[in-house]
Amino acid sequence: MATRRILYVTAEDHYLYRAGGGGLELEGKFPGDDLGVSAFREHLLSRPGGLFSVVADLAGEDFHEEQIPFLRGGDRDAIVQRRLAQRYRDTRLATALSLGEAPSAERRNERLLLASFTNTQQLAPWLDALEEADARLAGVYSAPLLAPALATKLGVRGGRALIVTATRAGLRQCYVDQGRLRFARLERTIDMVPQALAMFVRSETHRLAQYLVTLRALPREGAPVQVFVIAPPGQREVFEQALSSDARLVFHTVDYANALQSVGLKKVPEVTRAEALFLHLAATKPPREQFASRQDRRRYLVWQLQRGIVAAGAAGFLACALYGGAKWLEVMDLRDQAAVQQLQARTAAEQYERITAAFPVTQTSSENLKVAVVEFRRIADRSASPERALIHISQVLARFPQMEIDSVNWSVGRAAERGGLRPAANAAPGARPDTAGDVAVIVEVSGRVNATQRTDYRGITAQVESFATALAASGYQLVERKLPFDITSEGTLTGDIGATDTGEAPRFTIVFARSLP
Amino acid sequence: MTLTREELQKLALPLLIAIGFAVVGAGIIYSAGEGLRMAQARLAVAQTERRQNAERLARIAEEEREVSQKLDVYKQLKSLNILGEERRLEWADAINRIRVQRELLDVRYRVERQKLVTSAAGKPANVDFFASTMRVDLQLLHEEDLLRFLADLRASGNAYYAVRKCVLTRTGQAVGGTTMTPRLSAQCDIDLITIIDRAAKG
Repeated sequence: MATRRILYVTAEDHYLYRAGGGGLELEGKFPGDDLGVSAFREHLLSRPGGLFSVVADLAGEDFHEEQIPFLRGGDRDAIVQRRLAQRYRDTRLATALSLGEAPSAERRNERLLLASFTNTQQLAPWLDALEEADARLAGVYSAPLLAPALATKLGVRGGRALIVTATRAGLRQCYVDQGRLRFARLERTIDMVPQALAMFVRSETHRLAQYLVTLRALPREGAPVQVFVIAPPGQREVFEQALSSDARLVFHTVDYANALQSVGLKKVPEVTRAEALFLHLAATKPPREQFASRQDRRRYLVWQLQRGIVAAGAAGFLACALYGGAKWLEVMDLRDQAAVQQLQARTAAEQYERITAAFPVTQTSSENLKVAVVEFRRIADRSASPERALIHISQVLARFPQMEIDSVNWSVGRAAERGGLRPAANAAPGARPDTAGDVAVIVEVSGRVNATQRTDYRGITAQVESFATALAASGYQLVERKLPFDITSEGTLTGDIGATDTGEAPRFTIVFARSLP
Repeated sequence: MTLTREELQKLALPLLIAIGFAVVGAGIIYSAGEGLRMAQARLAVAQTERRQNAERLARIAEEEREVSQKLDVYKQLKSLNILGEERRLEWADAINRIRVQRELLDVRYRVERQKLVTSAAGKPANVDFFASTMRVDLQLLHEEDLLRFLADLRASGNAYYAVRKCVLTRTGQAVGGTTMTPRLSAQCDIDLITIIDRAAKG
């Protein structure tokens, strides 16, 4: 942070302080005459281009309340400048402090407190010297302009308050109403003993209060005004004894050391009085309102612009760094994830190698092993043996002793390939053998029907039908049967009635099947 | 506030510094973006590698399980000499032995030339299934002789015996005298199946 120098201007001597690190350091003392200005110029020559503020603590400071139409922007600036020009002959060091909106039924007005110095020539040579030295003038303040900030630091929260301080220039009294400066005066003092000074403070405060009532700045009746008196070092008790509160004024005596602590001032030159509080506030918490013109502050504004540009660049860099940092955190996270994935991949590969090493020893490849077994099982599943069919036929024959088997033709094949395959006449509707298109065990049984008269067509047909039905059980289905007498409409029915009986038994053929998986 | 040329010159250095800050900041963002892109790419590669290895591991575990399950069958095929070249002499020996042991009256057989039934695609070579159809004519006293003959044939090994057809008929010959007269004749077609594994070692 740039070192700021504060020029404290009084009616007699001017003091140049260097502010920084929470303290003030006296850099020079200059008489208020031309010799002092020359010495100041010489002093500035050795320190060109510094950052300066001016705090004036002069008696001739005028305060005048005005009202202007409630405006904003350039219109307000124009009217304020016009009012200042009307009020003051020299407006180089004049300012207008807003006191807020004026209560008016007719139109919205703004209350202004116009302030300036009755004799700006006291300050002009010093400002010129700063201008000549290319100094950056941050602002020209007066002790009263800094009083609201001091009041806030001392704990004043709203309401009406008087801030009373004993500075090098004299007894400074500032009237602050709702945090805004309304009036101030400086009464010159001579060296007094503490009791006398305290009594002087009391009498001057009462006089000021009376004056403010006269100005109607203070109501005649109402709540008492809080008076904060900053007692010089070691004089608090004397001040507290002398400053007795009454219905109009309530005194609060603040020890100088406590006041320094309140404003955050850690180090001050010993010879400095209460003006140190104002100087420190001018360096650290300057108010927006000040007396210097825009032209006088031009270097300072350019300097601020320079700093603003650099600050904007730095802020951009910081934002980029933060964004980049966040991205790099993401990168680190991704790298960690990748490392975990790589580890898992490595582990899986190692496990694969381990399993492969412990694989059962075969004399062929795993793939061939699998296809050989799978295909063999498929062939085995589609193979069969005649045992089951023959056993089945034997069991059925036991129930049909009149049946005599001539031949059994057992085969594995497609049932559909047997010509004219169709469901048996007495097969259940829709019970088409599922062997039709698939591989099946097909059994063709040919035989004769004994112990029945050949002329008993119905009996023979019924026995063969019954035999066929018995064979079409236990997983077998009837595919075809050829009766001794063709009774279907498609066949040819023959007979030889009256002829000699040859004794030959009627023959039949039954085909049944069982599907293989 | 209108700035003069001199004042504008005073702003040049701060502007340069600000631009420098911005350039360095942009560089940081660019490098972070590049780093992020590379890290994402590396992660993608690692994820792919991990997934592939995991899938391969899952497959090999499954393969191991399957191989273990099928290995016994394969070994049995090998021990029964179903797996390997045809052994026609062994077949002939087996039929003679069965005929003697079962005291069959008459056994005639004829084995046709070998033919390829199917060729299953394997790795690194195919597995071929061959069949040689054998026609057997048997003279039987009882149908159970046929069943015993088939059972003994299966037990003899050297091939997988898939019976395709068997025709059992009465001979119609009268029983009498001291010689045993066959009552039944059977004619069977049997596929003698062998397997050639082209990838088998030894």
